Amino acid sequence: MRYDTVIIGGGLAGLTAGIRLQKAGKNTAIVSTGQNALYFFSGCFESIQEPTPEIQSLFSEAGIRLHYSPGVRLMPMGTFKESALALEDVSLFPSPKFGRKVLIINFMAYHDFFSSFLAEGLEKQGMECRIRFLNLGDLAQPELGPNQMRAVQIARKMDEVWDKVVQEVRVLLKDEDTVILPQVFGLNDATIPERIRQGIPARVVFAATLPPSVPGIRTQMLLKKRYEVLGGTYLMGDRVTGAHVYEDTVQNVVTKHLDRHYLEADNFILASGGFFSKGLDSNPFKVYEPLFELDMDYNTDRNAWYDPSFTNHQPYMGFGVKTDADFRPSRKGVPVKNLYVIGSILGETHPELGCGAGLAIRSALKVANLITEPHAVPGVYTE
Amino acid sequence: MKANEFDVIIIGGGITGAGTQRDCAMRGLRTLLVDRSDIATGATGRNHGLLHSGARYAVNDPESAAECIRENMILRRVAAHCIDENDGLFVTLPEDDLDYQKTFVQACRNAGIRADIIDPDLARRLEPSVNPDIIGAVRVPDCSVDPFRLCAANMLDAKLHGGQVRLQTEVTGIIREGDTVKGIRTHNRNTGEDVEFYAPIVVNAGGVWGQELAQIAGVKVGMFPAKGSLLIFAHRVNNMVINRCRKPSNADILVPGDTVCIVGTTSSRIPLEECRNVAVTPDEVTLLITEGMKLAPRLASTRILRAYAGVRPLVSADDDPSGRNISRGIVCLDHEVRDGVKGLITITGGKLTSYRLMAEMATDLVCKKLGVDKACETATTPLPGSEEGSYEEVAKKIWENPTTAQKVAASRMGTRVSRMRSTDHRDEALICECEQVSMGEINLAIERLEASTLTDLRRRTRVGMGTCQGEFCACRAAGLLAKAHGCIEKEREDIDSFLQERWKGNFPIGWGETLREAEYTQWVYKHVLGI
Amino acid sequence: MQYQEYTQSEYNFEECTKCTICTAYCPVMQVNPLYPGPKQAGPDGERLRLRDPGFFDAALKYCLNCKRCEVYCPSEVKVADLIQSARIRYERTPPKVRDYLLASTDVMGKLARPVAPIVNFATRQQLTRTAMDVTLRIDRHRTFPEYSARGFEGWLKRRKKEQAAFPEQVAYYHGCYVNYNYPQLGKDLVKVLNAMGVGVQLLEKEQCCGIALIVNGQSAQARKKALHNVESLGKAVESGLKVVTTSSTCTLTIRDEYPSLLEVDNAAVRDSVLMATRFICEKLEQGATLPFRNDFHKRIAYHTPCHMARLGWGIFSQRLLQMIPGVEFTPLEQTCCGMAGTYGFKKENYANSQAIGAPLFDQIRAVNPDVVACDCETCKWQIEMSTGYKVENPISILAEAISDNGKD
Repeated sequence: MRYDTVIIGGGLAGLTAGIRLQKAGKNTAIVSTGQNALYFFSGCFESIQEPTPEIQSLFSEAGIRLHYSPGVRLMPMGTFKESALALEDVSLFPSPKFGRKVLIINFMAYHDFFSSFLAEGLEKQGMECRIRFLNLGDLAQPELGPNQMRAVQIARKMDEVWDKVVQEVRVLLKDEDTVILPQVFGLNDATIPERIRQGIPARVVFAATLPPSVPGIRTQMLLKKRYEVLGGTYLMGDRVTGAHVYEDTVQNVVTKHLDRHYLEADNFILASGGFFSKGLDSNPFKVYEPLFELDMDYNTDRNAWYDPSFTNHQPYMGFGVKTDADFRPSRKGVPVKNLYVIGSILGETHPELGCGAGLAIRSALKVANLITEPHAVPGVYTE
Repeated sequence: MKANEFDVIIIGGGITGAGTQRDCAMRGLRTLLVDRSDIATGATGRNHGLLHSGARYAVNDPESAAECIRENMILRRVAAHCIDENDGLFVTLPEDDLDYQKTFVQACRNAGIRADIIDPDLARRLEPSVNPDIIGAVRVPDCSVDPFRLCAANMLDAKLHGGQVRLQTEVTGIIREGDTVKGIRTHNRNTGEDVEFYAPIVVNAGGVWGQELAQIAGVKVGMFPAKGSLLIFAHRVNNMVINRCRKPSNADILVPGDTVCIVGTTSSRIPLEECRNVAVTPDEVTLLITEGMKLAPRLASTRILRAYAGVRPLVSADDDPSGRNISRGIVCLDHEVRDGVKGLITITGGKLTSYRLMAEMATDLVCKKLGVDKACETATTPLPGSEEGSYEEVAKKIWENPTTAQKVAASRMGTRVSRMRSTDHRDEALICECEQVSMGEINLAIERLEASTLTDLRRRTRVGMGTCQGEFCACRAAGLLAKAHGCIEKEREDIDSFLQERWKGNFPIGWGETLREAEYTQWVYKHVLGI
Repeated sequence: MQYQEYTQSEYNFEECTKCTICTAYCPVMQVNPLYPGPKQAGPDGERLRLRDPGFFDAALKYCLNCKRCEVYCPSEVKVADLIQSARIRYERTPPKVRDYLLASTDVMGKLARPVAPIVNFATRQQLTRTAMDVTLRIDRHRTFPEYSARGFEGWLKRRKKEQAAFPEQVAYYHGCYVNYNYPQLGKDLVKVLNAMGVGVQLLEKEQCCGIALIVNGQSAQARKKALHNVESLGKAVESGLKVVTTSSTCTLTIRDEYPSLLEVDNAAVRDSVLMATRFICEKLEQGATLPFRNDFHKRIAYHTPCHMARLGWGIFSQRLLQMIPGVEFTPLEQTCCGMAGTYGFKKENYANSQAIGAPLFDQIRAVNPDVVACDCETCKWQIEMSTGYKVENPISILAEAISDNGKD
């Protein structure tokens, strides 16, 4: 099968590049080994300050509503983190003291939402907190088993009965100005969080749960849908196992399921993620990029991979594939002409692009621009 | 008698201390056990978890070997729920001298250890993971033992017999009147309280730190701290203990233990000051893997979960730089006889397998000094949990169709699992999915087994001991601890120190799946949870 | 290889990082409180079972074997294989009579075919269905697939000479469904392939792929069938033939379940067994053509069967359907229909089976297509029963969309 561009990796970086290229009229395919780090997405675009119009439209056209408001967001253990750009259901506050009295809602026997930690954290900020538990079994049948009380399972129930939660909260609400709910709303319908806000006569804050992240899954589904609506081919559950590289050009890639049915393209984008996603791999002797064996930027001394303190910055998380300014990698020092590397597989090799979501989106857009308008950027190789 | 007066005070919450307290309490004494941190934090919890048949010592130390096999047989009965009766193999590799096998088997038989030479083919069938190149194999009655469970069961039984336990309680001084020990001065590291406790007898069961305690008391006990490093592999590769049939050396034992298997150890003498903070070096990791692979080649490609090190509390004897030739024999010192200090006993040396005998010897001495004439019953009375049957029988008695989690809980708690019977099915919610630890089990450990931190919980329930090393369960369990103790602030610190403790064991083997998991854990805690 | 260069175990369960993505996709976990979910039943449970087989959980029987967990796992852990192989190794409860009947698709077919009209009449009757419900615990709501009086094998045998005349040849593994229940699908395939100049042969002797036996606790019998099929496929492959199929489940079973669950070595044949849609798609890419009608118009919604998703070949069926002039194509969001072969027939699973399929049924109703395309016969039964929409294999749609040679 022949495409204009084949993208390896279907996470935030791969989808961003895919959507941008499809919009530019290119025919692309994404190969994704299962789901990706969007499943743990906090809902906040770290390292992006003011969003560019391009970023705004990328998300709004996919039906994902963002809001920009520099300040802090509430973390699920009751602490605060500086944030500026987030999904609409992630509240951003000018300062940690955002309310006076807070009603925290949790579900009975749900251990993945930390209401008592939240309360203690908010009380430290001078807010008064009250915790109340809802019985999920009263809201939706059949009841979830004790080991099915996880974010996605609850969210599926909530897609059906979120309005009952609104009613319950209205009954429980006394003089609180804020209600905190676990982030288990709007898995398949992005409008639910907003409708909950409208239904409750107080400020509604959604606080994160243990993964998987409901807003993260929703974001992934909407971006993937947008990509497919634009005509992109998303190969879910397949893996690129090898590539045919002739001299300095990638001819095609081979996947596990399509085997000898190679995916050919003019350009290839490697968005296969960091260690978790296996974009990078390691053994006792080296850190490496397993697919193309691209040149790496990392410390070869294993002792220098780690900081013994868990909370400190871990050097290995900065390791990444070495690229030129146009995100093109090299193999044994020889640049590969039609391969681009984006997203967290870059580690911290491009600090100017930030990290996490910021790095994924920025590098994806830059590379998509390079591919669609190669002549506009000086120094870019063209055939 | 006042609340702070006892018949005997035991210092040290390792297996020796816990066993001694249980024995003393069973003989009717009022006992107090103190430890500066938690149970089983020293050598007790930092070894292979091997219940020796004694075979390993048969050639060099027949006395210890005979001790081991006697105790091994006793503990199978009285500590059944802590022990897997899986037997062991002593294998001869092509590079080993097969003649040693004869010497070995003869020595085993002399010590009373059943040792059957079996065909290497049979050995390969019995234990498919064993190196296929073996040229000889001997089957011996080795077992696996969970030292945390064993220690907790002893402590619990002591409490059931009226004993008191003060953890996080550091001994800051020994109260002496002339040459008579009257009690101890302690500092509670949680509350900051300084309290004195009095008893006519103080037992020093401080393991490698017994030297410091002896010093405080004004007597001299010379320890020979020998560091041993081990690796935990993420699942059970072998179901029988695999040993090398040769003179004991580095990394020549592979022990299956609960859901994992453990290879070890190295041995190197370290200064006493370093005992509290031993780390595994990269060279030791390499040595453990490469030697371990000779026992079971699959270790070459099996995910490693952790690296850890312990310090053997060997008692100085001669000038042996490796520490391997020191007798593993039990040392029970009556300081009245030895140093003229009345009311102080040191019980040390020995090994996990012989803890009960050590406790018996120390208790006999305590009783003699107190004039109590009561026989030891620990060789015949089962520990709480070990009273009856296999985990399957135990679980079936409680639940009609026990779930996996209930069966696993029964395997960990023995008959005590009956306390988990609950009318509220929400108690079945799993907190730790890797090791299937439910909310009910965690709450029991908090209520009954003196668990006050996540690390304490880990030792008692295996929470966070599985493949993910506490990725999700740490904060779930922290929620339960916070609820039980009513203190969130402390729990935040607890999560930090738990994660730090997990990372300490992870990074020395931080590659492959372990590094993937570590990156994921970093995200979850730093970016999602905001810790 | 250096030590620790790769750390993988059998079924690579240690690559599981406990990320929980699989639990978000498990259709059973959502509807059955007794099912522990793929993570616990699979990689978590495997560690425990390695410690002690007694830790096997009987609730693993609730697994549909839809393999969605494997499709979405970012670590490529063979979650469903772990679960099914644990069932094979440790399940102690003997299968019920009902399970024997449901699993023996070929035996049942052979018995029913000579008396097909009677059987079909009987299984349609409320009384029979109630009786089966009560005695066999096969749910009364289920419509049994009809048996065809004349099998596909006989039909194709009668055309052996005619088929041999084509310049290119393939072998066809038709499976029980085409032979006993729905020969038309086989005929449609022959029509399409013939139109491309490809003649169709039967395998020397094929047997049921065995999947129904595997999931109904009869792996020993399944293994016999697997050995037989691998030999039979091997002869075709040795003579230079590709083997095409029209059932995604048979295909996945032969290609992937034989080695991983039944320990049957299929290396010699695996790569030659292809879904017909893939075979045709590749032929078309290489320049072959099909005589499409110009008066064809259909709105088609495509449902990717779970096992097609696991094969990673949904793209071929989709591309093929999109190539047909006059087709308005809508891909349905991937989700399980709830049938999962024999699972949905069982009374104890009926309600769950319907609950699992509900999101798919809703989607279909919203799209309101002329026909739902799908490569799996059991999805077809489920969707047709639950929505009333007609379901066709893409091959049948293709056959309808090309000009008729007038032969049947």
